[in-house]
Amino acid sequence: MQPASSLPVAPARPASTASFVRAGFLGGNEFGLIVLIAAFAILFTLATKGFASPFNLFTLGRTMGIDILIGFSMMVVIVSGGLNLAVGAIGVCAVMAAGYTMERLGFSWPLGLAACLLVGAALGAVNGEAITRSGVHSFIITLATMSIFFGGMVFLSRAEAFRELPPAITAFGKMRLFGVLSPLLLVAVATALVLGWLYRFTALGRRMLAAGSSPKAAEVSGIRVDRTIVACHVLSGILAALAGAMLTARHGAAIPSMAGHLGQDWLLPAFLAPVLGGTLLTGGRVSVLGTFLGAVLVSMLTNGLLLLRVGEFWVQAFLGLLLLAAVLLDLGRRRLLARHRIAV
Amino acid sequence: MTNTVRALRMVAVGLLLGAAATAAQAADDTYVALVPGGPHPYFAAWEQAGQDAAKEFGLEGADYRVPPKWELSQQNQLLESLLTQGYNGFLVFPGDPVGGNGVVSELVEQGAPVIATAGCLKQPTDASFCLGTDTGNSAYLGTQELIKRMGGKGKIAHFTGFLVDPNTQLRIDAVNKAAEEAGDDVEVVQVIADIDAPEPAEEKINAYLAAHGDEVDGIVTTAWIPAVVSANALRKIGDKRIKMVGIDHDEVVLQAIKDGFVDGTMLQNPYGQGYIGTFAIDRLRSGCTVKEDAPFASTALTDQFIDSGTAFVDASGVDNYVGAMQAVTKEIMSDFEDKYLTCE
Repeated sequence: MQPASSLPVAPARPASTASFVRAGFLGGNEFGLIVLIAAFAILFTLATKGFASPFNLFTLGRTMGIDILIGFSMMVVIVSGGLNLAVGAIGVCAVMAAGYTMERLGFSWPLGLAACLLVGAALGAVNGEAITRSGVHSFIITLATMSIFFGGMVFLSRAEAFRELPPAITAFGKMRLFGVLSPLLLVAVATALVLGWLYRFTALGRRMLAAGSSPKAAEVSGIRVDRTIVACHVLSGILAALAGAMLTARHGAAIPSMAGHLGQDWLLPAFLAPVLGGTLLTGGRVSVLGTFLGAVLVSMLTNGLLLLRVGEFWVQAFLGLLLLAAVLLDLGRRRLLARHRIAV
Repeated sequence: MTNTVRALRMVAVGLLLGAAATAAQAADDTYVALVPGGPHPYFAAWEQAGQDAAKEFGLEGADYRVPPKWELSQQNQLLESLLTQGYNGFLVFPGDPVGGNGVVSELVEQGAPVIATAGCLKQPTDASFCLGTDTGNSAYLGTQELIKRMGGKGKIAHFTGFLVDPNTQLRIDAVNKAAEEAGDDVEVVQVIADIDAPEPAEEKINAYLAAHGDEVDGIVTTAWIPAVVSANALRKIGDKRIKMVGIDHDEVVLQAIKDGFVDGTMLQNPYGQGYIGTFAIDRLRSGCTVKEDAPFASTALTDQFIDSGTAFVDASGVDNYVGAMQAVTKEIMSDFEDKYLTCE
């Protein structure tokens, strides 16, 4: 194995903390997202009734937690230069399997959660193996497996939800820490820390980035790109399953329609968060913090727009427009910084 | 202390008292949200019903708020947002009979009573009761009417709604029960579900009738869109041999009854649900409680069910269907408080 420092995507370290702050942080997507989040938080607090109320902060944090996990489940595949359109289908299949083990087989909730993550990993592995063995782009493979996984789940479950789950699951979804904080958000924070550690401090994480940046160069460097891509999809499956488990805690039931038809309702948040956060669609670059903040921004905009009463049907359109504006503003900010010779 | 400071203090105290009085007043005013599971023509009558009830009974307001998609997460997010906006009573069509219980509990914990409307939540639930069509009975009676018109024998196709709709399985069971009771000469040869939306309904019903129309003697539809699509299909075929009993009061179905392509329809009472439900929410907020010995009916989901009324109309009664349902609403309202509530 190549030493991490020789990997083709190893980022050049800034010369000092001050230059890092200027060049890396102020010029990056994360700073732009923090500014936008702060600006919208102030706007919604002033312009709406109850945005900063404990109940709204609690429900907003809960929604954010789930959206962040959905974003992560796509991000870990995007870094390898691929896509996973089946994140929603995997998430639902995993929780339906977990529901079966708990309701029909009498498993406790920790065992049910383990089953959930195991099924997510297995379905992710199926995706990864199919992509690497066939050589077909992940877009096509995961488009197909999205239908296959979801169809198989509907056939096996007869589209009936599992509703007799252990009460601890529902209690976790309703739990409030300090009156305002949902533990689902803490799960997302913990996951972000683990992913940050993975990409920054482990060989596996760097191999994932290398494989996404330049597969040929990575292969020459001794990295088994095929295995690495399978590992990305396994990780994506686990994260999708975890997102599904959090949604199950939210609803108190494992429901086949929880991610929409074929799991498609997850696709928008899955793509928005990592792309807004600065993860390149071409692979090779990841921003865990950016994805986290991207999901926070999207959840907050949805919540704020609902509170502003712009009309439920206009929320999606407004969201798209605001996100476009956010991206353009971010672009302008980068150009301004570049003009002032601050590296981006 | 200077006079200026004293004056400022008095103004501040006055403002605080005024704000407190306003808040108390606002808390006393009933502000109802009528929230369906997603966009669907069945619920359109709720808007006028809420407005009429708010005006009649002196409520602050009663607004019809529709989730942009037929999806439990979006409905939950909207309900949480509405509570934050100041709505303090809810009529909710549950997106899932168990999955909807979580958010309903949170609404009730915040002091906002909830009535499951047009569809029930599975007990145990914090909803005060369920007000809706006895869908099983409606489907059962409709199928009996169809069998009569088929001459007591023949093959029936059943087209029905979303599998995630808590009413769908009840309807399937009721149609099968009515057919079984009619003897061996009657058989339900096909059930097509999950088609309460234009695209899947057009595709599946037309394909089925094209392939098997000559093998079917009767059609019963137990959801709005399939009724409309089936009525149109029979008109296009132009053959009045196939008997049909639909559901609801779409103009297409009513006209097809007048023209003899459809034999009748099972009316529901969405206006009555919205009107009676809004009234009941206001009474519950005014200190009334649900009677422990109220004469509730039972369904598969709840034993606190109030039937909002159903009626079969054929060509002889189709011109006066509005009057028929208004009469039902009036009858339910006449003794609603005495029968179901205890008020000081």
